[in-house]
Amino acid sequence: MLETVSTIVLILMSLSILVCFIRVLIGPTMSDRVVALDTIGINLIGFAGVIMIVQQTLAYAEVALVIAILAFIGSVALAKFIEGGVVLDRDRD
Amino acid sequence: MAFQILLNIGIAFLWILLRNDFTVIDFLVGYFIGFIMLFVLRGLLNFEFYGRRVYAFFKLIVLFIYKLILANIDVIKIVLSPKMDIRPGIIAVPTDLDTEWEITLLATMISLTPGTLSMNFSENGKTIYVHFIHIEDKDEAIKEIHDSFEKAILEVTK
Amino acid sequence: MTEIVISILILIGGGLSLLGAIGIIRFPDVYGRLHAATKSATLGVISIILGVFIFFYFIEGIFAGKLLLTILFVFLTAPVAGFMISKSAYNVGVKLWDKSLQDDLGEHIKQLDRKEKQKS
Repeated sequence: MLETVSTIVLILMSLSILVCFIRVLIGPTMSDRVVALDTIGINLIGFAGVIMIVQQTLAYAEVALVIAILAFIGSVALAKFIEGGVVLDRDRD
Repeated sequence: MAFQILLNIGIAFLWILLRNDFTVIDFLVGYFIGFIMLFVLRGLLNFEFYGRRVYAFFKLIVLFIYKLILANIDVIKIVLSPKMDIRPGIIAVPTDLDTEWEITLLATMISLTPGTLSMNFSENGKTIYVHFIHIEDKDEAIKEIHDSFEKAILEVTK
Repeated sequence: MTEIVISILILIGGGLSLLGAIGIIRFPDVYGRLHAATKSATLGVISIILGVFIFFYFIEGIFAGKLLLTILFVFLTAPVAGFMISKSAYNVGVKLWDKSLQDDLGEHIKQLDRKEKQKS
C-alpha cells in the first residue's frame, strides 16, 4: 500500500515542480521567477523525503537538510541581488 | 527564571544520583519531579513560577498550528475558485510590542497565517506593513491580529 | 494502522504542494503568488517530512532527529524568505494588481521622500 501511495505522491510532486517551472519560464518580472525557484527548492525537500520511504533508507536525511539550507540562502541572495545588486553588505541599517 | 530552571536541573541530577544509573528517561523523570516540587513550593520560595510561561508558550504554539491549517484551507479555496474574486491590498498594522525579538516573532506568525504576509517595517519598528489577500473590513482585520497573536505573545514575554 | 496514517500525511503533503504550484500559476501578481508559496508549499513539505519521521520511528524503529531539524528549519526560513522577496519586489517597483484596494506602504514611502526633499 505504501509503495502505491509513494508513487502517487512522487507524481504529484513532479507535476507541481513542472508547474513552478512554467512560472519560471513565463514570469513577467524577476521577482516571479525568484518565488517560483524558491517553491521548487521547497518541493525538492519533500521529494527527498518520499524517496527515503521508497528506498527505506535514512541516507537522504542530510540531503533534505542541505537542500533546505541552500534554497533559503539562494532565495535571500537572489532577492537582495534584484533589489540593489549588492548581495553581501556589511553595515546593518 | 534562569535560576528556577537551574534549580530544576539540579533536582533532576539529584534524582539521577539516587537512581544509581544514568539514562535520558531518568533525567526527564527527575526534571518532571523538580517541576512539580517547584510548583508546590512556589508560595514558600517567594518567586513567580515559570511554568505559567511554559503554559503560555504551548498555548501560542497550538494557536499557531490551528491558524496555519486555517490559512491553508483559505488559500486552497481561493486557488480553486473559478473566478478570482479577491481584493488584495497593503495595510499598516500598528503594534504595541517593544523588543525586536517580539516584533520578529509577530511578523513571522503573520506571514504564516490566513491571507496575510508581512512586507516591511517602519523605521521605529512600531508599524508592520501587511499584504492582505482579501480585505473585507480594514479595522476588523487589524483587530483580529491584535486579539489573537499580540495578546498571546505578550502573555509569554510579560 | 501506522501505514494508513503515513499514507494520509504524505498524500496531504503532495496535494498541498500541487495546490501551491497551481496558486503560483493562477494568482495575478507577485504578492498573491507569495501567499501560495509561503503557506501551502511549507505546510505540504512539513506534512511529508512528518510522515517520513513516523515511518522511520514506528516501522523501522529509528529516531531520526535530522528530520525534526528539517521541519524546524523549514518553519523558520519560509516566512523570512517570503519577507525578503516581497520587500525587494516592492523596492524594485513591481506593481500591485489593478484591483487592489489600498497601498499604505506606498503612501509611507512618499511621505519619507517629501521629508527628505524638505531637508535638502
